[in-house]
Amino acid sequence: MIVHYIRLEMLRLLRDPGYLVLSLVSPLTMYLVFTNLDLTGESGHQGAAAYAMVGMAGFGAVGAVMGNGVAIAEDKPLGWIRQLRLLPLRPFEVVVGRTLTAMVGTVPPIVSVCLAGALVNDVSLSAAQWASVLVLLFVGIAPMAVLGIGVGYLLTGQQAQMAGLVCYMGLSLLGGLWVPIAKFPGWLEHVATATPINRYGELSWRVTDGNAPTVTGVLVLAGWAAVFAAFAVYGYRCSSRTV
Amino acid sequence: MEVKTTEMAGAAVLAGVTKSYGTVRAVNGLDLRLDQGKSVALLGPNGAGKSTTIAMLLALLAPDSGTVEVLGTSPERAVRDGRIGAMPQSGRLISGVTVRELLAFVRRSYAAKARARAKAVPPLDELMRATRVTDLARRRADQLSGGQAQRVRFAIAIAGAPELLVLDEPTTGLDIEARRELWASVRAYAAQGGTVLFSTHYLDEADAHADRIVVIDRGRVIADGTSDDIKQRVPGRTVSFDLDGSMGTLDGLPGVVSSEVRGNRAKLHTTDSDATVLALAGAGAVRNLEVTGAGLEEAFLTLTGSQEDAR
Repeated sequence: MIVHYIRLEMLRLLRDPGYLVLSLVSPLTMYLVFTNLDLTGESGHQGAAAYAMVGMAGFGAVGAVMGNGVAIAEDKPLGWIRQLRLLPLRPFEVVVGRTLTAMVGTVPPIVSVCLAGALVNDVSLSAAQWASVLVLLFVGIAPMAVLGIGVGYLLTGQQAQMAGLVCYMGLSLLGGLWVPIAKFPGWLEHVATATPINRYGELSWRVTDGNAPTVTGVLVLAGWAAVFAAFAVYGYRCSSRTV
Repeated sequence: MEVKTTEMAGAAVLAGVTKSYGTVRAVNGLDLRLDQGKSVALLGPNGAGKSTTIAMLLALLAPDSGTVEVLGTSPERAVRDGRIGAMPQSGRLISGVTVRELLAFVRRSYAAKARARAKAVPPLDELMRATRVTDLARRRADQLSGGQAQRVRFAIAIAGAPELLVLDEPTTGLDIEARRELWASVRAYAAQGGTVLFSTHYLDEADAHADRIVVIDRGRVIADGTSDDIKQRVPGRTVSFDLDGSMGTLDGLPGVVSSEVRGNRAKLHTTDSDATVLALAGAGAVRNLEVTGAGLEEAFLTLTGSQEDAR
């Protein structure tokens, strides 16, 4: 049943023009522009193109999951969230289904930016590295997907749009998806390492640099996942108290 | 009050149910038992507690006190098992899917539960034919007219061939033709033995489509019976006229349930305006006589007879 629900929400997501712009067109364009504008200061470096590739693929993924949150918030006044509560689906199935929908929605930006990296910017990684990067970009977005769920259930459409934008732009920038955090002032770099999106990107950056993800990084991300899950449960409970 | 039948589980049983929003008590000690296979109208003015009562039956809200039982189990369980179909009062259809895609999803979620209970839900094409949405199948769900959308919402409600069908003010905002079509579909469903509960603030709708009418006002049941019982108690018309000198008691006139006098103008709330007018004519009291359809709000105030705490 959860599969049917995910399929329905996927259809809606793929037909949403906002989704296409936020998670496909804008990251892909920015990737191609960034890598030719030398913003990382390491132009010509194999590392720079790979860094930006992970950054923009992650940026697209964040756009997709936050867009999903906004979509949930916009479903509330339609009565869709209530309609789902009247169907023989457990709330758990609905929430998990919507989270998985958001995650599946990250596949097109991740794959398209990585393809652009390989084909246009000559990023060369081993097969194992490519596989790891794709998997980590997909799996690692889970905490942000859960945050999007909480935002969607708790906030109104307009508030969710603001919150989504802050996460999409603000957290992405702070997390180093656009510019490496090593370029930040020291204190800001410290702050950045505590943010979920930095640790999300770090998973894959470690791999493109030829290393394994750090335990610290994984733990920080897991910590955020727990916080966001609690937030999502709170958001869901709040929304279910109103008819 | 009702006679309790213990052999068969009622389609729904509410006992001593209360629900408040802040300081407003929406439902105030409501007792109600719905028998299976009957169509029941929940009749009351806006703010009477109809929607809140329905929300508790559908497990959308939990009562503050009292118990709610649906199909012999908890409302949550009945909904989760796919035994209830519902059409909430408001709500639009979602964007990004066609009518067919939407109904296919809804039907499938019911079908899985139905299989677990060794039952079956009707095929999608049959559902769409029965609810007259076949011609809308390829249309985007959010681009339908009000009447078309309501047909699709009704199809969602009966997609699982539910034992209990709950409709919260189903005809609000529909034109006459769309209303007629909707009621035809409801009757077709009821004819197959389903239990129907619908709310309305139109006495004529309750009269035409329910076996039994439960009148609620300010969160409690104030009248309960067949359409004929209710029509004798709920005044459908108001007869107004100028008082000429002193008249005897106005309440003694035929059909008159209650009356009020403001200045020299009398207002009679009547269940039989013809008889009332004839009696008035006989008494020669027809100056500026006017017969109007009583709003239910007004009718209920007189029925409950509690002018002092009128809103």
